[in-house]
Amino acid sequence: MNEVAGGTALELQSVRRTFGTIVAVDNVSLAVSRGEFVTLLGPSGSGKTSTLRLIGGFEKLNAGAIRINGERIDHLPPYQRDTATIFQSGALFPHKTVAENVAYGLRMRKVAKPEMGERIRQSLDIVRLKGFEDRYPGQLSGGQKQRVALARSLAVRPAILLFDEPLSSLDLSLRLQLRAEIKRLHDELKFSAIYVTHDQGEAMAMSSRVAVMNRGRIEQIGGPETIFHKPANEFVYNFIGESCCLAVQFGAERTIDKTGESIDLALQDRPPDGDWRLYIRPSRLKLAEEAIGLPNRLKAKVHFIEFLGDVYRYHLKAGALEIFADRGGSIGHKIGDIIDVGWNNADMKAFR
Amino acid sequence: MSEVSYQRAHAREHRRRMRAPWLLMAPALVIVLIFFGIPTLYMLRMSFNLHFDQRLYVPGFTFEHYGNLFANPLFTTAIWTTVQLSLMSSLATVIIGYGFAILVWLKPSKWRLLFIGLALCPLLISEIAIIFGWWMFFPKNGLLSYALLSTGLITDKISLMYTEFAAFVGLIYVTLPFCFFILLSIFDGIDKRMIEASADLGAPPLTTFREVLLPLTWTGILVAFSQSFIWTMGTYATPSALGPDTLWTMGYLIQEQMLGKHNWPMASAFSMVLVAGVAAVMVMTRSLQSKRTSFHV
Repeated sequence: MNEVAGGTALELQSVRRTFGTIVAVDNVSLAVSRGEFVTLLGPSGSGKTSTLRLIGGFEKLNAGAIRINGERIDHLPPYQRDTATIFQSGALFPHKTVAENVAYGLRMRKVAKPEMGERIRQSLDIVRLKGFEDRYPGQLSGGQKQRVALARSLAVRPAILLFDEPLSSLDLSLRLQLRAEIKRLHDELKFSAIYVTHDQGEAMAMSSRVAVMNRGRIEQIGGPETIFHKPANEFVYNFIGESCCLAVQFGAERTIDKTGESIDLALQDRPPDGDWRLYIRPSRLKLAEEAIGLPNRLKAKVHFIEFLGDVYRYHLKAGALEIFADRGGSIGHKIGDIIDVGWNNADMKAFR
Repeated sequence: MSEVSYQRAHAREHRRRMRAPWLLMAPALVIVLIFFGIPTLYMLRMSFNLHFDQRLYVPGFTFEHYGNLFANPLFTTAIWTTVQLSLMSSLATVIIGYGFAILVWLKPSKWRLLFIGLALCPLLISEIAIIFGWWMFFPKNGLLSYALLSTGLITDKISLMYTEFAAFVGLIYVTLPFCFFILLSIFDGIDKRMIEASADLGAPPLTTFREVLLPLTWTGILVAFSQSFIWTMGTYATPSALGPDTLWTMGYLIQEQMLGKHNWPMASAFSMVLVAGVAAVMVMTRSLQSKRTSFHV
């Protein structure tokens, strides 16, 4: 595929798109290096799909610029842009065979016959669909259809591949399998890609970099580890990974919840007085005896216990605060018991 | 289970499966046979009866009426005129209907209801009432004449009433709603992302139309065309009310033989030719359809 020669494959510069009064994409700037796999991650309505559609040319931008390999392309229609999209629905042509589907983009690019055959063969080989050339999309399973869509896009060797939540309509096991396969393909072929998803597992597993989007803006962009361990703000912390949120008010004499009830919360480095939201990763919480000696502790009542297979999830309550923690085994406490919950400074983030 | 009884059970299962579609079709089939099959057979028999003046028909057996039909230029011209008019108006109907259907399919859904409502309107009015409408539209002092005059496109009032053009427009107007709904239902079964995928892979709009939209809607086009064609071939009120006196369609001549000349065998023979012609067109359009009948899986 594209030789990794460094340089920028795609550049978005202060891109903006509005629908009526709604700002779908708000001043988004982003650069994707050649061979880089960047994920746009965000809840629905965060502008990630709109951003992708702006790059593909299916939406017009209101302001800003888009460059592919240094050339400005935002005025061009989709068919003149060197992009290839893998749609959520696959969007295969049902009246064409698998081979004809893959050939489509090559025919449009006027690739010579012998090379076309070679590229079709190669693309189907890559996605492990050798022998399916003469089938129609209607005869394929959901996972196979997405592989054909991938092969169809890979065959044209675009400057950048655009993935529009391609796995979200598949069931879990297939999703995990294809996720690993896309990752393998990227490691092998080093294509440049933008991948849109609301599934943080997908984002974490596949990406060189993740851009967390919210309300049309990029909240943070960085490697998966950075995003997870050093979230830039409350939204990112909340959106990436599971977290418990404790909304408390620190006063001179006591700490209260939002209903005014006193909370037995001891923090090593207490933030200044006022309203705060404390976030803690549930996997890092220690319960009961294990919490002894930890710098931050909360007294809470066991509310209910969920068995999730690998772990027991303890739901606890302290006043109006709700918190949950996962434990490998039983801690020997029953519903209604008041126990200690403890955690280290590094596992907590405070936002006001 | 022994081998023999297994085979018997298998054969029974096979017979049951063969029967199922017929059983499911039975109610519709019975209605079609009773209300269409029997009258058509009756008409076929009638077309061979004898005819004398002042008598509707005399039982007998003769090919005379079929002979007259193809020997008399009045009738052969009528067949040709009708086929021509039907072909042209059906083609125009399909083209206009296709355009409307694409528009409604592509537009945001807030416009959809408006368009569907508009397309339904002509279906709520009887053909006769629509004809009266055209009578206020086409004549010298009609709406069209005034509209053209006020825009300055013409300097003298014109009348398009009783022209072949009026008949042509009248026929399109009646068949268009059916055509539109048939095509819209076909478009609604197509994933719009496919259009984007085609553009994404480098196809300009016209290529996308030729490579993707046209093949996927081809069956719908043929069905829409057939239904317009069949309807316009048989209709009588609209072309005779809007067209010139010289516009003799098959429907008009059948009516004249039946009610004017009281020649039932002749009217029946002409009707049989019409039925056969329509059936031939049906067979032809079916053979143009793709062998793979449905792509929507």
